Amino acid sequence: MAKKWGLRVRNWMAQKMDLPQDVMMDLPRITMIGQIHIYIENHRGLITFTDKELRLLLKQGQLQIKGKSFVIKTILPEEILLEGKIDQVIYINDNPGGTK
Amino acid sequence: MKNQWIEFISGKVTVKVTGRGIERFLNVLIRNGLIVWNVKRHGTETITFTMRLQDALKIRRYARERECSITFLKRAGMPFLFKRLLKNSGFVGGALLFLLIIMFLSNVIWGIEIKGAKPATEYQIRKELDKMGVKIGKVQFFVDNVEGIQRKLTNNVGNLTWVGVELKGTTYHLQVVEKKEPEKPEQLAPRNLVAKKKAVIDSMYIETGQKMVDIHDHVEQGQLLVSGVIGREGQTEQVAAVGEVWGETWYRSHVELPLETKFFVFNGQEKQKFSFVLGNLEIPIWGFGEPEFKEYETEKNVNKIHFLKWELPISIGNETLRAREETIRTYTEKEAEKNALELAKDKIKNGLDEEAIIKDQKILHKELKNGKVILDIHFKIIENIAVGQPIPKETTE
Repeated sequence: MAKKWGLRVRNWMAQKMDLPQDVMMDLPRITMIGQIHIYIENHRGLITFTDKELRLLLKQGQLQIKGKSFVIKTILPEEILLEGKIDQVIYINDNPGGTK
Repeated sequence: MKNQWIEFISGKVTVKVTGRGIERFLNVLIRNGLIVWNVKRHGTETITFTMRLQDALKIRRYARERECSITFLKRAGMPFLFKRLLKNSGFVGGALLFLLIIMFLSNVIWGIEIKGAKPATEYQIRKELDKMGVKIGKVQFFVDNVEGIQRKLTNNVGNLTWVGVELKGTTYHLQVVEKKEPEKPEQLAPRNLVAKKKAVIDSMYIETGQKMVDIHDHVEQGQLLVSGVIGREGQTEQVAAVGEVWGETWYRSHVELPLETKFFVFNGQEKQKFSFVLGNLEIPIWGFGEPEFKEYETEKNVNKIHFLKWELPISIGNETLRAREETIRTYTEKEAEKNALELAKDKIKNGLDEEAIIKDQKILHKELKNGKVILDIHFKIIENIAVGQPIPKETTE
């Protein structure tokens, strides 16, 4: 219950004070350049990586990226830059309602 | 994005990892601050990625904890290039040696050309050059510079008026002018000989012209001695009077000579210093430390290093420190007087022709004041007092 309260307060602050949501709520920030690049900040680690699929752990749930000939250009503890041909970006929620 | 070139300088390694749970292994690497890029998957159990050389050394530790085997595929960057350079150092050494040899050979004297000298003089010059160490096959640094050679040659070889020394590449070109040029017969205009100064005629030797004065005559400055107008009256002819008229002239001279004189003499001790000179920067390469003598004079020579025909910005500096000592010369009064007299004679002779003779001298006044001998001397000198003077045009009519 307390955790949810904290989340609510933060959500409220982000709205009222015009702060970026990703900073306030530890959400991933995804930047895509066409189909060729995808840049994800605030991830929590690698789960799967093949040349057709990339799965990242998020704070809540996972992020699945599907496509072709993937290459991880850079990977840092909280950032990743993926190159290849991206077809889909899918959020997978283990526990529904975890996100906003 | 990071800069590829920094990784290039510090070195980078492509790593192949085989095994299970590669993703977890990557996570571990990243969390421990190992930077990884260009991750690619090859098949189900293999990935390759690139990482920094210093991180690659740590990777084994993490791999041991997991069931992954690691192979290093490609090494790139400066550290590896450098290693290879060391392996192939023979080539580099050879190239450097080649440059050094060319540089050395560019600084060797390969020829001496002498122009404008008679064979005898040329032989003399060559002997003198040999003595100075300017020989074919010698290194230019250990030889005097061009001005020095020029000066020494003109001083030491008697019958040289002037010698121009020029260093063109590795060859010394000497342009010589000898003293004894064929004399041109002088075309003299009609002239008289007149007295240069007040004198008493001592002796006369007249080639052409009409004698106008006699021995023991007293003549004033400008007085006609030998006339250029000869022949009987009515049939006169004008010639250039040639001859010598020796007259006794008088000079007074005043000299001062201190009894004690301080001066420096070199005692033969010396120290050599060599250095590379690069612009204003000087890097000593030989002869360090202060000389063991206190009083010294420094002589500095800078030689440019040549590479083929070009001058390099580096030169070799050679410093010679010569020890000197202060000595005091003390004269007694008599010695001082004698020396002062010699001094006065030298002074007088400098102002006269080479042929003039000092006939007599008389000390008029002698004084010892402030540690100095002061002399006034009267000189009687026999010298040629005849000088040519063109005959004025009016007399011809």
